[in-house]
Amino acid sequence: MPTIQLFVTCLTDSFFPQTGEAVVEILNRLGVRVEFPADQACCGQPQFNAGLRSDARQIAKHTIQLFEQTSGDIVTPSGSCAHHFRHNLLELFEGDQEWHPRAEAFGKRVFEFTEYLVDQLNVTDLDAHWDGLLTYHPSCHTLRGLNVDRQPRALLQNVKGATLVELPNAQECCGFGGVMSVEHPELSAEWLKRKISNLEATNAPTLVVTDAGCLMHILGGLKRQGKKQKVVHIAEILNRRL
Amino acid sequence: MSNASFRARIRQSIENETLQTALDNNSERRLRGKATAFESIPDWRERRQRAHSVRADVVERLDEYLDRFIANAQTNGITIHRAKDAQEAIHIVLDITQSITNYQSPSPLIAKSKSMVSEEISLNHALEEHGIDVVETDLGEYIVQLRKERPSHIITPAAHLKKEQVAQLFHEKLGIPYTEDIPTLTATARKVLRQVFLTADIGISGVNFGVAETGGICIVTNEGNGRMVTTLPKTHIALMGIERLVPNLDDLALMLSLLPRSATGQKITVYTQLIHTPMPGQERHIILLDNGRNKIRNSPLKESLYCIRCGACLNACPVFRELSGHAYIGRDLSIAPYPGPIGSVISPGLFGENYFQLAQASSLCGACKEACPVDIDLPKLLTRVRAGAADDAKRKADEDGKGLTWSTRFFLRIFTRLSTQPKLFALSQKLASLGTHLLSPRSAWMRLPAFTGWGYSKDLPRFAGKTFRERFKPKTPATSGDVALHNPDSNVSRRWNAASEGAALHNPDSNVSRRWNAASGDVALREYLVQQFTGELAALSGNVYRTQNPTRAVAEYLLANHVLKIYLQPGVLDETQLTDTGIDYTHDPDPTLTVGVTKAWAGLADTGSVLEADGELFGSLLPEVHLVILKSKDILPSLPDSMSLVKNQNAVFITGPSRTADIEMTLTIGVHGPREIHVFVDDSNSG
Repeated sequence: MPTIQLFVTCLTDSFFPQTGEAVVEILNRLGVRVEFPADQACCGQPQFNAGLRSDARQIAKHTIQLFEQTSGDIVTPSGSCAHHFRHNLLELFEGDQEWHPRAEAFGKRVFEFTEYLVDQLNVTDLDAHWDGLLTYHPSCHTLRGLNVDRQPRALLQNVKGATLVELPNAQECCGFGGVMSVEHPELSAEWLKRKISNLEATNAPTLVVTDAGCLMHILGGLKRQGKKQKVVHIAEILNRRL
Repeated sequence: MSNASFRARIRQSIENETLQTALDNNSERRLRGKATAFESIPDWRERRQRAHSVRADVVERLDEYLDRFIANAQTNGITIHRAKDAQEAIHIVLDITQSITNYQSPSPLIAKSKSMVSEEISLNHALEEHGIDVVETDLGEYIVQLRKERPSHIITPAAHLKKEQVAQLFHEKLGIPYTEDIPTLTATARKVLRQVFLTADIGISGVNFGVAETGGICIVTNEGNGRMVTTLPKTHIALMGIERLVPNLDDLALMLSLLPRSATGQKITVYTQLIHTPMPGQERHIILLDNGRNKIRNSPLKESLYCIRCGACLNACPVFRELSGHAYIGRDLSIAPYPGPIGSVISPGLFGENYFQLAQASSLCGACKEACPVDIDLPKLLTRVRAGAADDAKRKADEDGKGLTWSTRFFLRIFTRLSTQPKLFALSQKLASLGTHLLSPRSAWMRLPAFTGWGYSKDLPRFAGKTFRERFKPKTPATSGDVALHNPDSNVSRRWNAASEGAALHNPDSNVSRRWNAASGDVALREYLVQQFTGELAALSGNVYRTQNPTRAVAEYLLANHVLKIYLQPGVLDETQLTDTGIDYTHDPDPTLTVGVTKAWAGLADTGSVLEADGELFGSLLPEVHLVILKSKDILPSLPDSMSLVKNQNAVFITGPSRTADIEMTLTIGVHGPREIHVFVDDSNSG
């Protein structure tokens, strides 16, 4: 019976706790013990992306130290946080004899949630049920940062009752981009508009994502425009059963 | 620090519907074209990694390669100049111009083909200030020059314009009746610019690649203007960034398989020139420009020097797609010479603080890295610029948040504090939850004002009443889960590292390394190559005729088309036989002739290209119709197979008729070069 450490992400923790609960329930059902190191906070990606590297380093050190006290794989329901841990930390600690190896060892333990299910646990069918059309938005960092795409798609293919339809220009960014969405709201708004009109073209009432950032951004846009579509994290889809 | 002017410019671009339509067309067509073009090289992933290594090696050992390149070019009779900055480069051009005493016209006239380096140093402006006429001859560049604009895209300078705007421009500036017919507009430019080519005193060009091993330069164009400006004027000046080198001709062949595919979705450009020596009676200069490149080389932005200027990252970038090149502005409101993702790295890299703000306008979505044919990690470089890697004072990726607004920085600094102090973090979550529930007691989503950024186009969720950390309870699951862990249906058991980058690297379909042994004389293979060549050229609207007697075949073609006099490259056809059929010919340059006949050294089956002497302009470029004689035994599989024929000569690969897509991405045939190309494949075994 494997034990994993959950890095729930600050957005999920603060805004979408139900996603975190779905992750825990799914893993428990699969016989995986889930531990949650309570001193975790943000992964530091916003600081890193903004160029505030000493800030990002402080946070990274805090997180690395915290998880060094634990064992087992680290699972996170966010492609971009997983990407930050696996790739950006190496950049952040480049040339640092102490922290680079620690960051590397930490990064190797980290898996995005669907990647963990499919590649580590060998599971693609969770006996999930969802009625109606689903369409999938591959988050930039899940798709291009981690090369994780077949995993969420395989899991969604096996959801009973659901029909998976392809989102037009699915690979395009939704316009979140962390601080970019506040630094350049005009740009962000244009991409969001395009993402929403692509979503409408599918007629699917539900858009599935693997990242709380995209979720908050696209759903926030839908709310503002008074649209009815939902954006749901894949864990909540996979956790829905008959 | 505020980015208000940059944001205002972004808003202008977004609100300009004409521009948005043009940009959408550009992106969509280019992305589609690129995807199709890469299908013909199934081993592209491997090529991309090799290209990355080649460029990395060049940048790493730049001085060594530069020395070799310079020595070889000098041996070939080319004059080399080195310029450390824009001022020096401009002075060198002025000195060369002033050293010419007998101009063809009252004041010196310069014909220029596309060069991003010339944009970088604002060369045209400097030359005009000295009373020198400069005419851009690439159709797109000519259009933006007439509009007194900068190019908005490094490959398609007029990508921001629609045909109505070009129609109005040509009507006003060139005095033609208003027409939106793109072939008519193109023909007008051809007529005006043909005069410029024939009377220019100096030709200025850019350089796509310099080859260290041979001292040659490679220039790729579709219209043919590159060949005109490098060959017709008595003086040619090539402007080149010091980093634009490849070690040898094999590496060049590799780059040429990636550059046009990425830039315009072509397997190869219409004209791929390899220039090694001056033309008879010509002076050839190369100006090697540093202008901050060594500075970048010694900074964490070094990888940006691997760029081969294909523009693919611009086409893939969602930011560029909203902005166009003209909105990439510095704090002084000047337009950055290089836009798009690569421009947002090298503009700050070369010119410093003024352009730092460009790097913040990115979601780091990674579309640029994916599009890059030499696999430059652009998102990483953008984060390095943000961290101060382009800051002269530091030259080290540090902790600055360059180009960030003060409010965002302030917020992030607070967030750092919270994120490293767990108790404070949990407390702040509670306060935020309380606050947002007070602000929005009824709805789970709140509308913030636009100035917050977030509130501009989306609502914000309330913080959860009970966070995940409050809800989580550790639970020991049943020993075996109710879904079998080792799902028998699952066929996906690869670990992430096996599935990640480059899993498909070693494609078994790859046939690049296949080299045809010319001595084998395999009839079936030769026939296959002729067929492939014919098919490829036909796809570009070129014609192929099989013949045992090329002189007779050419004569029949000419008589059928009522052509009585041609330009003929010496030693290509049986001249007595030709005269007997009543066809007159000359070996002397004559710009009035409409048909030229030249001989190919080789043909390339996989692209439908012919390789021949670059200097045969009056045969292969100036006439309306170009006839080529190619022996079937000289058709080789692919570009790399023919590189040994180039050696140290001036050679050109010609692939189809001259063309452009500079107006609304609409393909138009016959810009500066021939409208038709006919290849006579000689099946006789003579010679």
